[in-house]
Amino acid sequence: MKVIEVNNLVKQYNGAKSPSVDGVSFSVDNGEFFAFLGPNGAGKTTTISILTTTLSTTSGEARIAGFDVDKDARRVRERIGIISQKPSLDKSLTAEENIRFHAALYGLYGYRPSFKLMPKAYKEQVTQLAEIVGIQDALFRPVKKLSGGMQRKLEIIRSLVHTPDVLFLDEPTQGLDAVSRRMLWDYINDVRNRYGTTIFLTTHYIDEAENVDKVCIINHGKIAFCATPDAMKRQIAYDPAPRVCLPSLEDAYVEFLNRDKGAA
Amino acid sequence: MEITVKTTVIGTVGDVKKPSRVFREISTIWAIVCREVSVAFKSPGTLIMSLAMPLVMMGMIGGNLTQNMADGLNFDFGMFMLVGMMINMLFMATSQGVATLVDDHEDNFSEEMLIAPVSRYAIVIGKICGSAFSAVVTMLGTLIVGAVMGITLSFGQFLSILALSPLICLAAGSLAMLFIGLIKNRKAANLAVMLIIMPQMFLSGAIIPIGNSSGLLWVISRMLPMTYCLDLTRAVVYAGTPEYGAVTLFNPLVSITGTICITVVCLTVGTFFYARSEKDR
Ligand SMILES: Nc1ncnc2c1ncn2[C@@H]1O[C@H](COP(=O)(O)OP(=O)(O)OP(=O)(O)O)[C@@H](O)[C@H]1O
Ligand SMILES: [Mg+2]
Repeated sequence: MKVIEVNNLVKQYNGAKSPSVDGVSFSVDNGEFFAFLGPNGAGKTTTISILTTTLSTTSGEARIAGFDVDKDARRVRERIGIISQKPSLDKSLTAEENIRFHAALYGLYGYRPSFKLMPKAYKEQVTQLAEIVGIQDALFRPVKKLSGGMQRKLEIIRSLVHTPDVLFLDEPTQGLDAVSRRMLWDYINDVRNRYGTTIFLTTHYIDEAENVDKVCIINHGKIAFCATPDAMKRQIAYDPAPRVCLPSLEDAYVEFLNRDKGAA
Repeated sequence: MEITVKTTVIGTVGDVKKPSRVFREISTIWAIVCREVSVAFKSPGTLIMSLAMPLVMMGMIGGNLTQNMADGLNFDFGMFMLVGMMINMLFMATSQGVATLVDDHEDNFSEEMLIAPVSRYAIVIGKICGSAFSAVVTMLGTLIVGAVMGITLSFGQFLSILALSPLICLAAGSLAMLFIGLIKNRKAANLAVMLIIMPQMFLSGAIIPIGNSSGLLWVISRMLPMTYCLDLTRAVVYAGTPEYGAVTLFNPLVSITGTICITVVCLTVGTFFYARSEKDR
């Protein structure tokens, strides 16, 4: 079953001369791990903003779990979670207050004025999540006093508190150290295995997309390529000498973009 | 196809019991209110300002008016002005609170709220009710400054104003939404708050009686929500006193209806434009 369907999506920002997303179509199956790759300014964040109902479309349509992102925004919102490229934390609240606020907006727990007063299940859940990503010591500190990577980890656990069906990750590992990156991916894989969560990933660390089910490359607002990572590597056999093994996805990706530039 | 049986594992809560929609809306309003209150406590500067403001507004402007204008009126001007100033401060502080929606936009925190499966009204109403907290603090400050100046309310009168304050803040915040909803820039928002508050202070009868207004000023005064809020409050505060007729303009039913109608219209239009301006970029 298709959980994300995008049809001829166009987005031209107000006052912009040309569309940032220009007739994009693709689909993602339920439970799939999907990578949406492309250079800076290609239109990845724009597409994600439309899919997560925070940006209007110029034309075309997009559906999540069969619901139109424009007409049925609430149903879409009930099913999604996002780690956006630009942090969306309240910096004056503590880390835990940010999570508590999130949990209240999703109706999981009513907001109570202090952590101590929250139900036991909530307290356990938050403590456990913080331990998984290693920010348990920072939980009660104001967000503005946390490092960039710690803030990122906070956003990661916050986005998963309400178990979304589809999780959008817009460069989730930017600013994370190598150990944390690995830990994050272990955690996300764990979530996928347990809940069958569909993952929509954009990243500039192409190696993170090595094991995805499907890759789409967007360039200048248009879909340039959609395939499995293996198919992509095979197709972009840029090395004329016979190779024993396939190139890395990053090699294939860079080669592809170079050719795309040559063609344009 | 995946079968998604969701239970509580690795600390993640599943949607086994799906929260009802009404619960979620109320929960959202309440969470936003709590956030505003805790942010207010965390920035003592704002709280101090909300106590310093009455000093200027009530102490200086009000004091000056009392000394120079009170003659020739057939009611006690000090009391008239105190009530007017308290309502004016509720309007001012609530509008300033609503204007922090622009900060949320700049910090990208609005995305966290807008992406949640809750009504846009819940977000806006939460913001207004949260702002009401600082507004009531400011109103109490006004009361204290008034007491220092020798102008006092009875406890009953104070309680009735307090009881009306949620409605007044809602009216004030809704009016502010009409402008703030479309503004995405901090400086412009501050300017808008001043533009909303200043004319109302003079045209709605907060500190200057408007019983004799005519022409355009009469029309404008009837369009301002503060006119109705003030009149309603004065009707309650002055109920049963000989001055009642001199300080009120309308029957309280007219004031309530006027307040509610303007609030509903402003809230609906303001929220609509807010949601649209966040999305249509
Ligand atoms: N609010 C905006 N108004 C006008 N143009 C915008 C706006 N946001 C983005 N753009 C433009 O849209 C294009 C696509 O931007 P987008 O943020 O989607 O790129 P991206 O693929 O996410 O890039 P990156 O990898 O750098 O995050 C860019 O040319 C950008 O300048
Ligand atoms: Mg981006």
